[in-house]
Amino acid sequence: MAPLVPKSGDAIFASIDRVNAELFTLTYGAMVRQLLTDLEEVDVVNKQLDQMGYNIGVRLIDEFLAKSNVSRCVDFKETADVIAKVGLKMFLGVTASVSNWDPEGSSFSLVLDDNPLVDFVELPDTFQGLHYCNILSGVIRGALEMVSMKTEITWIRDMLHGDDAYELRVKLLKQIPEEYPYKDDE
Amino acid sequence: MIASVAVVGHQNNPLYLQSFTNANDALKLHHIVHCSLDVIDERVNNPKRSVSTLNESYLGLLYPTESYKVYGYLSNTKAKFLVVTTDLDVKDADIRSFFRRFHAAYVDAVSNPFHVPEKKIVSRTFAQRVSGIVKAFAAGTNG
Repeated sequence: MAPLVPKSGDAIFASIDRVNAELFTLTYGAMVRQLLTDLEEVDVVNKQLDQMGYNIGVRLIDEFLAKSNVSRCVDFKETADVIAKVGLKMFLGVTASVSNWDPEGSSFSLVLDDNPLVDFVELPDTFQGLHYCNILSGVIRGALEMVSMKTEITWIRDMLHGDDAYELRVKLLKQIPEEYPYKDDE
Repeated sequence: MIASVAVVGHQNNPLYLQSFTNANDALKLHHIVHCSLDVIDERVNNPKRSVSTLNESYLGLLYPTESYKVYGYLSNTKAKFLVVTTDLDVKDADIRSFFRRFHAAYVDAVSNPFHVPEKKIVSRTFAQRVSGIVKAFAAGTNG
């Protein structure tokens, strides 16, 4: 098998069903807007977006593994590359770059230059604390948890707050070994 | 050169007004825009040709007065775009392309989920883009 990703994200992206990007962007925008109207507090909305992302992630990982045929990742570094090049390309249509590995190799930065979720969006001053793309951090967290990695994800840079790119910091907290749920001798 | 631009919603409520001359004639600008709205209504209700069912009607010169001319453009959501210019001769093609770019910037501003429809456009990017389009237009007609 090839050492890194056997099928690049582009090939899979081209072969699966796709949706109009503007429809996707506008739907996500409407959803965030409605959450803000219902919940009113920016922190609560951030948490809710993360929770929604988590629910998406735990289901998305199965589809990802089924469609992309990646082999088991040997270490966290390979996981990072697979997320950035294959996973994000397959589902969002953009690739990210992995950088800023810390010395132990347990956390990295995922940098997105282009993000289809935020086309046309400008945050008004009253919602400056909002992490508009928080759903992404939830998705990655949920997906990794289903493959036995407990992670913590934070936003470092956000273009809607004036930075030049989107940067997510992914930190591996621990690897949970698979537990057999049933006792053998009962 | 372009003195000002305005966007008016379908209920004739002003959505965006920007003047590019350095005089503080905001009131005069409001007045001009208001009068132009009457001209637009008149043109829309009595079409000169019976086949004027084009989408994105470019309305052309609405009325010339002593020192300026007003051009109008109507989108099919009845959003009206007005341009007040002090140029003596402006090519039709230039104004049309100006309106096309203006309309594109408007569409992007309105697609912002935080923009409330029929309220004023507060997007900074929109203001910057419009200034850019106006500058490009001025450069185009002078060069």
